[in-house]
Amino acid sequence: MELLAQATGVTGNVEALKSAIAVMGYGLAAIGPGIGIGIVVGNAVQAMARQPEAAGMVRTTMFLGIAFTEALALIGFVLFFLA
Amino acid sequence: MTADQVVLAIECDPAQPAACAPANTNELFETPTLFSIGGFGVNRAMLLMVLAALVVIALLLAAYRRPRLVPTRFGVMVEGVVGYVRDEVAVGVIGPEGVRYFPYLLSLFLFILVGNLFGITPLVNFPVTSRMAIPAFLALVTWVIFVILGFARNGFKYLRDIVWPSSVPLALRPLVGLIEFFSTFLLRPLTLAVRLFANMVAGHMLLSVLMVGGLIFITRFDGTSVLGVLWFALGIPIFAFEVFVAILQAYIFTLLAAVYIQTSLHPEH
Repeated sequence: MELLAQATGVTGNVEALKSAIAVMGYGLAAIGPGIGIGIVVGNAVQAMARQPEAAGMVRTTMFLGIAFTEALALIGFVLFFLA
Repeated sequence: MTADQVVLAIECDPAQPAACAPANTNELFETPTLFSIGGFGVNRAMLLMVLAALVVIALLLAAYRRPRLVPTRFGVMVEGVVGYVRDEVAVGVIGPEGVRYFPYLLSLFLFILVGNLFGITPLVNFPVTSRMAIPAFLALVTWVIFVILGFARNGFKYLRDIVWPSSVPLALRPLVGLIEFFSTFLLRPLTLAVRLFANMVAGHMLLSVLMVGGLIFITRFDGTSVLGVLWFALGIPIFAFEVFVAILQAYIFTLLAAVYIQTSLHPEH
């Protein structure tokens, strides 16, 4: 962290830099899951539209898919608190 | 945060602490110890947690103590929720033997639901599930249940199927096994707890910033603050959205608990 502070020319409060980077890290961690959840829900909506009688099953599977995709964003959230 | 950053273009009045130095976000989740019983401090979050359990018990007792042939409107409502958890979550996900795990799943669902809804209940205004200890404990109980169930039903084969999956090409097995091991035994409980916690923290912060912040601005500037009115107005749709989030997160937690139990019973699927 000190090296990074020197490299970017930041003097003074290194802790503030650390939390700023943590916030950016969380933002980056949210990109992938965001796209992933979009794909999951989009395809689930398509499946429900094509076969409305399977909507219940698709919905359950969709929530599962969202839950697994979301895991990455949640790990980012935890790291944001740890930093 | 310095005072001049807080209120745009208005002189900061140190006599008005709410407008001059607003609360830290951590303070939204800190509950001071109210009294102590035998050395254990009791705070508001603990009392609310007990209250949530009592509300669930009272709800089910009121609905089921005297079953009627033609149920009341309230009875139909509770029956609908209970029936949904049994048919769609317990039996729908786990299969016919899911009835055995239905009581656990129902208590999980109702407790989390009531805990979440406390966040938008007037006069309570604090989601107990936004304190990490509660989602973490519920996730830990679920973890213990599905791990013990996996070993009890499948023996050592349960662990072997996870770290050495036979459906994967041999060259990839160590890698997939490692990922599966971490995801099953570490990430599952972690994400289960953090998902609920993060959603409730975010919702509570959003509502506090919009509604309480808006109210402070309105009262501080004698109703001349357009920003305060806008904030408060924006808080109302967010409030409705939080109702949806509270129900959805309780449902997802229960659904995932059921799925984890199901994968322990039948690891091949």
